Amino acid sequence: MKEYPPFEPDPVIEAYKKDVDVTLIRENLKLTPDQRIQKLMAMQRAVEELRRAVLASRVRERADDDRHSGPD
Amino acid sequence: MTTDIPALISLLARNEVEFILIGGVAGGAHGSARVTFDLDVVYARSRENMARLVRALRDQEPYLRGAPPGLPFRFDEYTVRMGLNFTLTTKLGDLDLLGEVVGGGFYEQILPRSIEVEIAGVRCRCAELEALIAMKRAAGRPKDREAVAELERILEQREPREPA
Repeated sequence: MKEYPPFEPDPVIEAYKKDVDVTLIRENLKLTPDQRIQKLMAMQRAVEELRRAVLASRVRERADDDRHSGPD
Repeated sequence: MTTDIPALISLLARNEVEFILIGGVAGGAHGSARVTFDLDVVYARSRENMARLVRALRDQEPYLRGAPPGLPFRFDEYTVRMGLNFTLTTKLGDLDLLGEVVGGGFYEQILPRSIEVEIAGVRCRCAELEALIAMKRAAGRPKDREAVAELERILEQREPREPA
């Protein structure tokens, strides 16, 4: 495996590092790459489902608003 | 639409396309907990490989992501040869095909900085964590720096390597 020189310190990256949840990383490192991708797929599906739910809720709210506002 | 990442990887591998996983999926394979919605790969620009790439995606209706419908876009060998980087939608989801990557270079330059991984029952190449970090650092967008922070944490969490 190729050796890499150390990366230049970047204050922005160092600031972000403080907020990284290391417990999630530790759990992921227990998995195989294939299992990690399956987990990523599950997260992707969950986010898509949430997006759809939020969108549907907005459409319903708008329809309710239209019904209640009525003609002037 | 979700991107069927294992299906896309499997499709490329079964068609013997020379490619390397990079971007969020490669980060995920290394242990990143960030969600990604597309698959980024760097592909070899040889004529034979471009032909395999076109063959692999033939039935997936590749089209330019974000472009208005109805453009005379054909994903064929000529198009791939004339272009370099393509952001595509396909029937399996979003796929970014990169001939060259900032901070990484071409396929041949990234290949020695990649490892073999098994995903969806196929073996494929994935950029090494350090190479991914170098690419993300070179890209330099705020979201990349945030991603780098996590990738560098993964690097710190991994067991120290055996001395050569």
